[in-house]
Amino acid sequence: MSKIKFHPSEELLVNYVSGQLNAALAVVVGTHLDMCPRCRSVVHDIEVHLATRELHQTSPMAEPELAAMLESILASEAPMVAPKSAPEENIILESKSFKVPPSLGRHASRMGPWSKMPGGLWRAPLELNADERMHLIYMQENASVPEHTHRGSEATLVLDGVFSDEHDEYRDGDFIFLDATQQHTPHTTDESCLTLAFLDAPLHFTSGVARLLNPFSSLFFR
Amino acid sequence: MQVMPEKRNTRQYMSTVRREPQEMTPEHLGQLLAEVAKSRSRIAFGELFRHFAPRLQSFATRQFGNEQTAMDLVQETMTNVWHKAHLFSPEKGSPTTWIFTIARNIRFDILRKNKHRQNDVSAEDLWPVLSEEMSDSDEEFALDKNILLQEIGEYYLQLPDAQREVVEQIYIEGKSQQEVSDTLGIPLGTVKSRTRLALQKLRELISEQN
Repeated sequence: MSKIKFHPSEELLVNYVSGQLNAALAVVVGTHLDMCPRCRSVVHDIEVHLATRELHQTSPMAEPELAAMLESILASEAPMVAPKSAPEENIILESKSFKVPPSLGRHASRMGPWSKMPGGLWRAPLELNADERMHLIYMQENASVPEHTHRGSEATLVLDGVFSDEHDEYRDGDFIFLDATQQHTPHTTDESCLTLAFLDAPLHFTSGVARLLNPFSSLFFR
Repeated sequence: MQVMPEKRNTRQYMSTVRREPQEMTPEHLGQLLAEVAKSRSRIAFGELFRHFAPRLQSFATRQFGNEQTAMDLVQETMTNVWHKAHLFSPEKGSPTTWIFTIARNIRFDILRKNKHRQNDVSAEDLWPVLSEEMSDSDEEFALDKNILLQEIGEYYLQLPDAQREVVEQIYIEGKSQQEVSDTLGIPLGTVKSRTRLALQKLRELISEQN
């Protein structure tokens, strides 16, 4: 695998470790971690740091309370472990099959059907619950997404292939995080690209005919 | 940078009073976890409990601002430690870090349960800490996921010493096969064959019983 150039910020990783992220964004970050040894090691350091900091102070607990809790734990039944099915290893789009990391594969059963959109794009929703969802977006060769800004932030992870925008080129494992002020025009050339994308607000198209799509943009990407 | 003398004195004073009555090194905590995993030692767990419960209580009170919910988090976290100590592996980090990640997951699920939604993702789906799946790439040596290590506890005592030693180090202490080979000073191939034989024997013993 080629070297990953774009990584989540340390702040994002800290929020990931402390469990503060939207679950869908946590899946996108977790999938990047599966692909990126560098960030796995940063996350490990953050875990050590947070654990030391968060479990440093003690609260005075009354002795009878402590003893009662200890007794009830020792008498407790082992919690039931629901047998987990192994993560799905592949995601299928028409005749193509893509190998995906376990952090994404664990949620493959929540994936909705693919739908084809204008501009050589395919999209499938992946809903964790009513307000936490992400999308798999497949851009075929020579596809483009109209220029847009985001009302919220957008996180995109390249799972397979390559896409470009006016800033750079992004390949397998690259993680791109854009806030509401940044606009960009993603496109592919002679290679297609599968991405996992998280948006916390609908897109806002900024140029040309695509502006007419704005009233419907929530149908597009959310 | 200048340091005021009084300040330095205060710091020295603080560090002497705050010293823990007993040295709780990661190694010591790890040994306690190993004893809980291996022999269900209530004494070892009691020591872990008295170390971690007041820390978890302080953490959870800061998170929830509610003492009862905080107590629930302490109880649930330490219940998992009692039953799942065998899933701790020293290579992955210190006991404190492991217990913190369990508490982090329980906090996430407690916040979720307040929303009363069905079919929601759980923290384990996002950050697998307690899943009984082997992360080891030596898939062929993975134990059947439905067999809890606790069940195996009684059976593995019936294994020949050489096999039991290997199984103990891999599945209870969480060592890799290479590390077991280094520790025992036996070739990697021998570790692999002993593991295979031991697992075969365990499967036989378990199916005979059921």
